[in-house]
Amino acid sequence: MSTNAMFGRYWEADSPIHRLDPRTKIVGTALLVVTVFCAGNFTALAAVAVFTVGMFALARIPFLQALRSIAPLTFIIVLTALFNLFYVQGGTVYLDWGWLRISQEGVRQALFVAVRLTLLLLSGSLLTLTTTSLDITEALEQLLSPLARIGVPAHEFSLVMGIALRFLPQFVDEFQTIRAAQLARGAKLATSPVKGGLSGLTSLLVPLFASAFRHADTLSAAMDARCYHGAMGRTRLNPLRFARADTVALAALVALLVACIVLSIAPRMPI
Amino acid sequence: MPDAGNVTVLGLDTSDPANVYAIRSQAGMVFQNPDDQIVASVIENDVAFGPENLGVAPSELRARVTAALAQVGLQGFEKKQTESLSGGQKQRVAVAGVLAMEPKILVLDEASAMLDPRGRVGLLRVCHELNEAGLTIVLITHFMEEAAQADRVIVLESGRVALDGAPEDVFTQIDRLRELALDIPFSAHLSRSLRARGVPVSVHADEGGLQRELVGLLSPDAGAMSAESKCMPDADRTPEGDDRRPLVEFERVSFTYQPISQKKHRLSRTAPAAERADWGRSPNEYWALKDLTFSIREGEFLGIAGHTGSGKSTLIQLANGLLQPTEGSVRIRGASLADRKAAVEARRDVGVVFQYPERQLFAATVYDDVAFGPRNLGFSSGEVDEAVRNAMELVHLDIDELRDRNPFGLSGGQQRRVAFAGVLAMQPRALVLDEPVAGLDPQAKRSFLALLEELHREQDMSVVVVSHNMDDLATMCDRVLVLNEGELFALDVPERIFADEERLRSVGLGVPHASHFVNVLAKGGIRLPVSSLPTLDELADALAGACEGTHAEATRVGASGEGAF
Repeated sequence: MSTNAMFGRYWEADSPIHRLDPRTKIVGTALLVVTVFCAGNFTALAAVAVFTVGMFALARIPFLQALRSIAPLTFIIVLTALFNLFYVQGGTVYLDWGWLRISQEGVRQALFVAVRLTLLLLSGSLLTLTTTSLDITEALEQLLSPLARIGVPAHEFSLVMGIALRFLPQFVDEFQTIRAAQLARGAKLATSPVKGGLSGLTSLLVPLFASAFRHADTLSAAMDARCYHGAMGRTRLNPLRFARADTVALAALVALLVACIVLSIAPRMPI
Repeated sequence: MPDAGNVTVLGLDTSDPANVYAIRSQAGMVFQNPDDQIVASVIENDVAFGPENLGVAPSELRARVTAALAQVGLQGFEKKQTESLSGGQKQRVAVAGVLAMEPKILVLDEASAMLDPRGRVGLLRVCHELNEAGLTIVLITHFMEEAAQADRVIVLESGRVALDGAPEDVFTQIDRLRELALDIPFSAHLSRSLRARGVPVSVHADEGGLQRELVGLLSPDAGAMSAESKCMPDADRTPEGDDRRPLVEFERVSFTYQPISQKKHRLSRTAPAAERADWGRSPNEYWALKDLTFSIREGEFLGIAGHTGSGKSTLIQLANGLLQPTEGSVRIRGASLADRKAAVEARRDVGVVFQYPERQLFAATVYDDVAFGPRNLGFSSGEVDEAVRNAMELVHLDIDELRDRNPFGLSGGQQRRVAFAGVLAMQPRALVLDEPVAGLDPQAKRSFLALLEELHREQDMSVVVVSHNMDDLATMCDRVLVLNEGELFALDVPERIFADEERLRSVGLGVPHASHFVNVLAKGGIRLPVSSLPTLDELADALAGACEGTHAEATRVGASGEGAF
């Protein structure tokens, strides 16, 4: 079993952040994302960075693990930074290679974007590391529930998401068995994708779809048998509770947002 | 709902839509595949799903979840992930999910069909306990030993009730059961064989009853006549086929599913000694297979036993190069599979039939599916045609009748044969089958096993079968390999493997019915002059002989018989 943090995987711990209402965490993450975008200079970004690192500390997640959790997504950061490095021009020119030119403004912008993206990914990772998928789907359902009145199927949407998450590991397993079985029959899946081509691909996908339909058939019968009939009249084992810690967390985030906006425009203020 | 007539459940008519939820909450269902009926990722949420739908108050929900989990012996599992459970545990979670709705009836639709023996025993025990607590249990099953535990048995045949009565009444109609293509419980079979030999026992549907009656019939010292030497494993039967050349050799093979990078990471962080200590113990065990050395010989029938998670599936994939050992080597006819080309060749020599092979069918016609392997091997169309024809013949299917049929439209047993033909079409020298008869009904099961024996005998193929059924292993195999937690626990002829019931029980396995029966009687003080791996007939003969002995003895003086013990 892996002991490493992964983006999208739950990090089991008992911390004030883990205990927050998942709704708070979703809204909070959204606020944090807005704050990151509002931070217009390095000072403001530094404030957000300090806050984010503090949150990971509070969640009892080692910072190295936090970084590891977003490692698979580093390429996004690098690509965007490189793009800015070459595209944005201005100030002293450090390197001039014909069509390739790096200048002071480009370096600054590349760094800025890299830090901003890192913070964005970290805040998203913090949500999934501290909240189980089920909590996230339930919280989403409740947050979306006002929309249910205008016909958005909030409950069904979250149920589908929950079931998809529940079946994901199983499909991975089944896919591996099917792949092994077809490889055993000489399917050229790994060696030459062109030669093995279409028949190789259908030999994997048809059984996988067949299995998905088989699962869906029984699952719907099983849900029927357990009296599932939509959201109406359903109760919940773990009703979501909004506590004082949630108020504090949201207040802190709003304060951070305000601080960032002030820091971002402060240098331009006449005082 | 019925087309004609009425079905009432607890007095409620099923055709009345108003009764739907009342009926569903009172009569809970558990289905065959444990993976298809679990809704949530976390156990407590899955158990709560039913009562949540019924609108039970949140305060009561918690109590119901706790109680239901306790009833199925999974207390404290509330927060665990459903995906981390074994098949048997998943079925118990499914039962708990039904119990949390506080039903009066529990219907299990072949709920044990996909479980290993350990899981099956656990599920049955839970059913017995619930039944004693007052719940009505309806168990739909292909396993007659399970049906024999019921108060009442109904046998259906093409939509009609064929038999209906107490197990003793149903399972004693052996000829009728044969007609219906059902298995006959061991004890019913044995008691009938005994009656045929003139032993005055009544026909029993459960082993315990027959054993008690036999113990009563035979005074403990009656068996004293036994030739004890016969109880020892037959010395003359050395592991058969020592002279046969090895086909697939495993040499000190270890395998882990963890990526190499993590392995290095782990090895650098933890002392090797500490790691050695928890090998084979922790549930998230590091090695799937550990230090395994054995060979599959040309033309032998090798059985592999071991409970779920013992590494059987990994072993199968290593045997034809689908997986590469982390340590050690696998060779086929002397060529190491570490070489890519050799591995591709090897796949042709060793045909692997995975569990539920029909689930890998994909082509639009039977012909195309069976032809998939030969085509991948680059056969000419004439060769493909011949290979398909031969393979279909080997599995006793008519190619001319089926060639353009859609495989998904065939019966389960036929689908499995088509999938099997797809492997045989590659003309392998050896076959490795992972639980080849799982999920088949008794008749399909018997004929599939017969087919394997035929291939072994007539085509001189090496056959490796992974199975949970000790009776099948004992009757079919030249040798049996027992795996436990990824390690080789034993490898020997069936006579010696099944000689020590206690030792096999310690790794979650059992022995064939007849051997178990002999062992139970031995505990009751009755020793029978049978070989170490008796057949049912041999057992019946020995019992009949012992009974005659008792009667003869009874007329003489009792004291003389005691000495031999």
